[in-house]
Amino acid sequence: MDLFLQTLLNGLLQSGIYALVASGLALAVGVVGIVNFAHGEFLMIGAFMAWAASAFLGVDPLLSLPIVAVAVFGVGALTYRVSIRHVLLAPELNQMLLTFGLGILLQNLALMLLGGNTRTVTTPYQASSLSFGELSIGGPKAIAFGLAAALLGALYFTLYRTVLGRQMRAVAQNRRGAQLIGIPVDRVYLIAFGVSCGLAAVAGVLVSVLLFASPTVGLVFALKAFAIIVMAGLGNLTGVLWASVILGVSEALVQTYVPGGGGWSDAVFFLMIFGTLVLRSFRRTA
Amino acid sequence: MKTLLLTGVLLAVSGAGAVKVGVLLPLSGAGSVSGQAAKNGYDLALDEINRAGGVLGKPLEVVYGDDTSAPAKAVPEFVKLVTVDKVDFMAGGVSSAVSVALSGPAKQYNTFMAWIGAAATPVEDAFADHKYFFHYHPWSYYNFEAILNFFKTLKVKQGAKNIAIAYEDGPFGSAGIDATVDAFKKAGFNVVMTEKFKTGSGNFGPLVSKAKAAKPDILYWVGYDTDALPLATEVKQQNLKLGLIYGTPPSWPVGFEKNPLADNISGLSLWLPTSPNPESRTFVTAYKKKFGTVTEEYFAPLAYVNLKSLAAAINKAGSTDKDKVAAELAKTSMPTPFGPLTFSKSLKTQYQGFKAGNWLHFQFLGDTRVPVYPIKFAQKQLVWAK
Repeated sequence: MDLFLQTLLNGLLQSGIYALVASGLALAVGVVGIVNFAHGEFLMIGAFMAWAASAFLGVDPLLSLPIVAVAVFGVGALTYRVSIRHVLLAPELNQMLLTFGLGILLQNLALMLLGGNTRTVTTPYQASSLSFGELSIGGPKAIAFGLAAALLGALYFTLYRTVLGRQMRAVAQNRRGAQLIGIPVDRVYLIAFGVSCGLAAVAGVLVSVLLFASPTVGLVFALKAFAIIVMAGLGNLTGVLWASVILGVSEALVQTYVPGGGGWSDAVFFLMIFGTLVLRSFRRTA
Repeated sequence: MKTLLLTGVLLAVSGAGAVKVGVLLPLSGAGSVSGQAAKNGYDLALDEINRAGGVLGKPLEVVYGDDTSAPAKAVPEFVKLVTVDKVDFMAGGVSSAVSVALSGPAKQYNTFMAWIGAAATPVEDAFADHKYFFHYHPWSYYNFEAILNFFKTLKVKQGAKNIAIAYEDGPFGSAGIDATVDAFKKAGFNVVMTEKFKTGSGNFGPLVSKAKAAKPDILYWVGYDTDALPLATEVKQQNLKLGLIYGTPPSWPVGFEKNPLADNISGLSLWLPTSPNPESRTFVTAYKKKFGTVTEEYFAPLAYVNLKSLAAAINKAGSTDKDKVAAELAKTSMPTPFGPLTFSKSLKTQYQGFKAGNWLHFQFLGDTRVPVYPIKFAQKQLVWAK
């Protein structure tokens, strides 16, 4: 019983980091309408910034989080201004090629500037945990989960209770209509894309504490984030948290109870994408 | 413009006929710590070789390629080095998965390979019939022979009985895992868990939960540097009580020794900078002079020895003829930071350099790697945490 409960806890905690990465991606897809294949690379930038703050300035990665988030928001906004906005009306394939190329560019820039080594940070709370009998909850993962819930809450609040949020939803529903009633569509896109990148960077800061910073660290999480937004429905922010929990817990169950399950963990999200798409196609034809 | 053209022509002329060695390394990706360490070793050896007159009276030239730790990238990079850069010899090689993928093009182009890494036995199978394959790193069964000897002493001294195995699902971790389990059992150990994981995923929660339920004395993991910190973190967070965590990554993350979570974790190395032999001391001094620091990664001296021995064999052969160089390299008998290097047969390949006797076991103690076994090399007693 302890093993089962611990497995559920492991999955739940893992889902926090997935939700953080996926919520940013969902925002880019839902509001701006672009599938950002470079999302993992913005996570990587956040991870390296947190590592650099810790290694060179002695600043705890979590304390550097607001600065990293704002800085990467700026990088995202600049990226939007320089490249993304020019392809918004282009065919989807062109958009995908652009963001895919952007991802490769950022990854290789990181390789050139920082090398391929994995960089780790040391924090006093890295191995902290709360124990309840035989069960334990890892400190950094609990922080990630809490932060994901808080940021998603803030995002929902922004979307449903603020003027900017209403503008974002209007733009997401009908770009031309929003433009006709005087909503500054371009500015809304810029903010949405910037926030999306900022959220990825926040996840990156946590990844630097939980794992490491490296030029390729974003890839694993970006793939999971794609699975989550497919499960949640493209652009559906409310579904992201549940889809993240389903993915995290499913992976944990497979890893614990399927023989050789550790090797099958990557199959879980592929299976979920496949299952979701099949299910949706049945619904449409029904 | 004229000056530029003239410089280009002069460079081209001076490079013509120079002996070229292609070095394929994981300069990025999962194996990059080993790859970067190896590159420093090659650079140091290249400096020394060229200062001493180069090979065949000309400067030796090294052309690097980054395999990015991925077979799909490694194959075209290898083919480019052989066919476009027209290197005379290939050196390098860290990852087993990459090396297996290279066996096809290596045989197709009949490439001379002086290979430093790739311990998994599928590589040995793949190159068994390749007459120009010189393997410097011990094969995984030599590694395991050394590990088993160490664990047997832990069984006697610490009462270690139960072993949990965590292994990455690529060729490095998976090849021969059944034989590993059998060998542990044969030696009187209980293998209480055998779990695979995805390297680089960092998700060790379920694996450690299973290990906790199995109550092992030793957690033996076979993976890469990217797995070290997440695994150590999870063990601590879930309060898994162990006598020892023993890992065999080709290299450890940069700065890992400074993290308190590394304390008492043990591993295997062919070399440490504290190794007392004169060649090791000379290497450490030269390395420090060139790079301003000391490395603990054995891939640096291994690459250094690799290029030095290859250059010596080319000089002795008096040409770049592959058969003549192979004959000379096969006769190598040189002192190295690891002890004497000679080539003899392994189970399947013709030219095997270092074997089980070259390994030593260390433990992260107080911000550094301290040799703890074999006893004659031990600088401190092993800390058994249980």
